[in-house]
Amino acid sequence: MKILVDGAAAPLEAAAAEAARLLEQAKLPLIAGLAADIAGARAAIALAERLRGAYDHMYSEFLLRDLDVMRQSGQFVTTANEVRVRADCVVLIGAKLKTAWPDMLARLDLSNPARFDEAHAPRKIFWLGANPGDAEEAGAVKIAAPSSELPILLAALRASVAGRKTRPDAHIDGKLADLAVQLQAARFGVIVWSSESVGRLTIEMIQGLLLDLNKKTRFTGLPVGAAGNVTGVGQASGWMTGFPMRTGFGRGYPEHDTWRFEANRLVDSGEADVAMWISAYGNEAPRWKREVPYVAITTPETQFAYPPKVRIDVGTPGVDHDAVEYVQNLMTLAATDARSASDAPQVASVIRLIDEHLTKGEGAC
Amino acid sequence: MLIRLSGGRVIDPANGRDGIGDIWIRDDRIVEPAAGETPDMVYDVTGKIVMAGAIDIHSHIAGGNVNTARLLLPENHRAHVARPAATPLSTAGWSTFETGCRYAAMGYTTVIEPAVPPHLALHSHLELADIPIIDKGTLSVLGNDDFLLSLIRDGAGPAAIADYVGATLNASKGIGVKCINAGAAMAFKHNVRSFNLDDVVPAYNLSSRAIVEALQQAVMDLGIPHPLHLHTNNLGIGGNVETALATIAAARGKPLHLAHLQFYSYGKEGKRGFSSAAAELAEAVNANANVTVDVGQVMFRQTVTISMDVLRQFNAMGTASPKKSVIYDGDANGGGIVPFNYRSNNFYNAVQWASGLELFLLINDPMRVFFSTDHPNGAPYTTYPDLFALIMSREARASWLADLPQAAVEMTTLPSLTREYSFYDIAMMTRVAPSKLLGLRDRGHLSPGALADVAIYHDDPDRAAMFRFAHLVFKDGDLVIRDGRVTHYRFGRALKVSPTYDSAIDRRLSTYYDDVYGISPDLFKVPVEALGRENPFGEVACGR
Repeated sequence: MKILVDGAAAPLEAAAAEAARLLEQAKLPLIAGLAADIAGARAAIALAERLRGAYDHMYSEFLLRDLDVMRQSGQFVTTANEVRVRADCVVLIGAKLKTAWPDMLARLDLSNPARFDEAHAPRKIFWLGANPGDAEEAGAVKIAAPSSELPILLAALRASVAGRKTRPDAHIDGKLADLAVQLQAARFGVIVWSSESVGRLTIEMIQGLLLDLNKKTRFTGLPVGAAGNVTGVGQASGWMTGFPMRTGFGRGYPEHDTWRFEANRLVDSGEADVAMWISAYGNEAPRWKREVPYVAITTPETQFAYPPKVRIDVGTPGVDHDAVEYVQNLMTLAATDARSASDAPQVASVIRLIDEHLTKGEGAC
Repeated sequence: MLIRLSGGRVIDPANGRDGIGDIWIRDDRIVEPAAGETPDMVYDVTGKIVMAGAIDIHSHIAGGNVNTARLLLPENHRAHVARPAATPLSTAGWSTFETGCRYAAMGYTTVIEPAVPPHLALHSHLELADIPIIDKGTLSVLGNDDFLLSLIRDGAGPAAIADYVGATLNASKGIGVKCINAGAAMAFKHNVRSFNLDDVVPAYNLSSRAIVEALQQAVMDLGIPHPLHLHTNNLGIGGNVETALATIAAARGKPLHLAHLQFYSYGKEGKRGFSSAAAELAEAVNANANVTVDVGQVMFRQTVTISMDVLRQFNAMGTASPKKSVIYDGDANGGGIVPFNYRSNNFYNAVQWASGLELFLLINDPMRVFFSTDHPNGAPYTTYPDLFALIMSREARASWLADLPQAAVEMTTLPSLTREYSFYDIAMMTRVAPSKLLGLRDRGHLSPGALADVAIYHDDPDRAAMFRFAHLVFKDGDLVIRDGRVTHYRFGRALKVSPTYDSAIDRRLSTYYDDVYGISPDLFKVPVEALGRENPFGEVACGR
């Protein structure tokens, strides 16, 4: 565990004091990365507010794909448990589902009939745009499609389910005729996707399809969250400020703007003049191009393109210390016990220490 | 710290008190006047109204569904005031921080979040832990879960059901049990689109009525002070007064709390088939002393409906304004978020508004009718001050009525109602009655020994202004509000019960979770350390 100020080893107190000095004299401090547990996220958002800075998460882009569709037109959503015990028809969409959710097949128990499905028949499983081998492993009917073709495929499927005429396209029709029939025959169907591998338009088509299917039967969605506890951080951000990430406090109150407060843009445009980079889950380094001075609160193996002014290594939530984080298997926030407890510092405690060295204002958490 | 609140008009119905006098506070408690001692602080509250802190028994202030609503509607809660230095995020629109501050400013010191799915309890408690100043509590929701439905179907008997309810309450750290459209969320998963009291849940052959009866009994058997808190079937539908009356009859004289009764007070009169049946319903409440209700008043403005009655919310999607809804098929439960704009020139909304007021005015006993807007479903809690003004003044009602569609007014009895709530009635309804209903013996009154939760108001003839910004509010003897503004943060506790039950059910639940879900029920635990606050919980005694 390293604690460095300008590359030289320093005591934690001194590093925290230097971080506070650096952040406090900034015109627009940016809290970025933000891959932390709930306690860390709460402390970081509270710090951003006290500094009148802005905050973003390294995977906001993925979270916002789902959120933007929801806040534009709504959402049907369920849990992993309900899919496991109830779904008789499962439509998997996209190439990286298993990377985003390694437990998926076992957790959803797709190889067995759903316990509460009255017909207790083997599940009907489809995979649109699967990686090679994935559909076979899942026992799914494979419908090959590159990611870019998914919105068109889903639009045609939606039209077909709604009984509308579609432009005759043998290529698409052949793939979808059976699927459209199967979807409408489902008793409790589910569509599973990951915003890491499908775009906003695909998600919009999925939600539109769900709306149409629910006119006659039951069908719902299971979004797979991205890494870095981005879904959990989004929840904490929601209750603390009313908004998800990409929110700024420059005017003294939270303003949410997905373009204005995007971390890389803020740095590269020169608007943010000091940053804090938080990465407690993996060894992720910032990807901005301009060399803004920054404080790094990261896991020990992180390699940086240029050195941070202050570096404080921290443990991994749920590994080095108990943590609350979003758990995909449960589709909610859960308390995770440390898998191999250590005395490595936690994001929340490091930020609180920095907060104590600030001279202006008072923190929320 | 010894504090004397000097010369105010003390309204404390629990002690039959309405008169000029002093209240003394030592540390966090109300005490007898300390003869011969010089107080550390004296507040001259001559001409002010002094009451215990108010208690809200039904307000959706925290949890997964509330947070989804925040994220669904960023356009509805833009903040526009910079935060004061000492109270971070207190002006962030619809944040947990703002919630605590605005409730406290109205003199509220305890608020119950009435819909927590046991599997989402940690999330709810995390949000509650970020609500400053006030004490909180949660109702754990049961009645659509396979484990319970199977117990009832298989004739497991009341003891097993009580054990399960007790185990669930302990794990989710709730203060009571709520049941929301019993069986309907489960039935909706089987594609059922309407669900009445005697309709049967597919695959279980169990009626809604049977589920309610079983839960009602379990709550009594466990000695939980708060009776079963029931959101019954057919919410919001014309003619549903029949359902409400049938539900009252189904209680069979046993304690039952009926939530947001206004939403069930509709007849089918008139050419639109929608009228107020509040008078008939109020009569039934008056005649059944075992029943308590909260009103769920509608106020005219943009809001969002947040309900675990997923079947109802699905059916309401067409009314969404703006046009976007979230429908959630959760673990053993459900939920729906449907934005809604109540408009005073809308016939149906005007009837809803009037029928809520009729319930307030026609239910005789202020100990059995509770003040709520079912926040935010009928209106946000921030409209409470206007609602206090309405029930306190027939003149105020008359001026509102003048602006409503005449056809709607004709469908109600409101213009003929002359009753006006007194301060004494208000204190009974918002202080004494909730403390009794929830078993919170340490609050709701100003007896020596009580928690020093005190609200002091200007006696402003503009009652809405008076109740919007209290003059002074003390929480646990600590001055937190001065002239409607928060002075500093402190963090209250979530009040919970710990009923005793046979722990054999815990082992049975472990086996069940492993068998059905392939996971341990411990994953849904709510560890005290996870909440990041000192002493986040307070205990409420159970006992028959």
